[in-house]
Amino acid sequence: MLSRLVFVSGTHLFNLFLVQASRGLHTSSQCLAPMPPMPEHGGKVRHGIFPEELFQLLYPKTGVTECSNITFSLFYMLGTGLLVYLLSKEIYVINHETYAGLAMLSVIVYGVKKFGPQVAAYADQLNDEKLAKAQVVKDLTLNSMTESIENEKKEQWRTEGRSLLFDAKRNNVAMLLETNYRERLHMVTNEVKRRLDYHVALQNLKRRMEQEHMINWVEMSVVSTISPQPEKESITKCISDLKALAKTSQAKATV
Amino acid sequence: MALNFFDQFMTPIYMGIPLITLATLMPRLTFLQPTSQWTTSRFSTLQSQLLNSSTYQLFAPLSPKSHHWALLIVSLMIFLITINLLGLLPYTFTPTTQLSFNMAFALPAWLATVIIGLRTQPTHAFAHLLPESTPPLLIPILIIIETISLLIRPLALGVRLTANLTAGHLLIQLISTAMFTMIHTIPLMAMLTGTLLLLLSILEIAVAMIQAYVFVLLLSLYLQENM
Repeated sequence: MLSRLVFVSGTHLFNLFLVQASRGLHTSSQCLAPMPPMPEHGGKVRHGIFPEELFQLLYPKTGVTECSNITFSLFYMLGTGLLVYLLSKEIYVINHETYAGLAMLSVIVYGVKKFGPQVAAYADQLNDEKLAKAQVVKDLTLNSMTESIENEKKEQWRTEGRSLLFDAKRNNVAMLLETNYRERLHMVTNEVKRRLDYHVALQNLKRRMEQEHMINWVEMSVVSTISPQPEKESITKCISDLKALAKTSQAKATV
Repeated sequence: MALNFFDQFMTPIYMGIPLITLATLMPRLTFLQPTSQWTTSRFSTLQSQLLNSSTYQLFAPLSPKSHHWALLIVSLMIFLITINLLGLLPYTFTPTTQLSFNMAFALPAWLATVIIGLRTQPTHAFAHLLPESTPPLLIPILIIIETISLLIRPLALGVRLTANLTAGHLLIQLISTAMFTMIHTIPLMAMLTGTLLLLLSILEIAVAMIQAYVFVLLLSLYLQENM
């Protein structure tokens, strides 16, 4: 029960159940963490099964040349001796199973030799795909980071010009205010002029009406004083005047 | 040298330890433990790829409820494949040649699927006993036949695996004995027999893998029927 809690606390509930854990976290130096790096290639083997180190045992003593590798190498000597011993003393008995084993062994060796590289390439391809996916994520993140850095720099450059922006805006606002003021002034002037015009027109109208009225009154009174007799006299006088004038003008015209 | 060909299927108890137990537990050593490395070795990658692809293959047509069986079924498959393949080597013992061993896997699993089907959807489970659109005259006979076929399934599962592997091992023994006997008298015939033995070995490797897969595939089909 306690061990289960320790396991649980070790994975993702970090300190939640630590009260009941039988050992704390991070009390000793970590082993196998970080993971030691995996070797690039597997250990070298000869004949598919025997590691290469076995063949190197007596190289400092015996030296290595092309034929001495087979004849004097410890491994081959010991191996051959062992095999011959097992066979001759019938410790390894040759019976029907030997042939069955030989047949199976040849099938296995053929399979490994023929399909080995393909299978290895497939395994490598699986691993490479996994790496490529992670690489894509990493590249995307890096790219987005670089882009955001550039955007930040651009924003910083933009802020340098903000005083120009503010001046322009201030000018704008001042112009707007000025325009507005002038408009209102204009409006006020117009209104005042209208009212004054009204008063002037009113006065003009009044004088004209008075004049007309006076003229009418004078005409009326004059017409009323004219009796028929002075009217006839005035008309004959006018006619005689006109005749005299006509004569003088005729005389001027002939002259 | 074996006295008869069936000594290879003996299950002796040596010094108090039944050797079949060892033969059953040893194949587990050929699997790799899951590592905490992110980029794994080739063997580990291939093993995980095999497990994932076989799990997907087996469980794609099944309903999500039956995915609880994934661990059981895929681990059974890997177990059987490893045991079968290791038994092809000379002087090894294959536990799956014992009928009791295979029935111990087939019967409980089949019974579990039937009980699940009868508990959760009894009508649907009983409906499997009668195929669609059968002529009415045949219905009674067909129900009896289908019931028999249902009840014989665990026997079929176990015996299929046992018989295939036993037959294969026996054949290998027989042909290699023939080759061994003839190689001093008629070497040419021995060589022909040797060729036959090679082909048989290829067949046996295939059969070992296919039989394990078929066992597990049929179990998943029974599960699909009932869940």
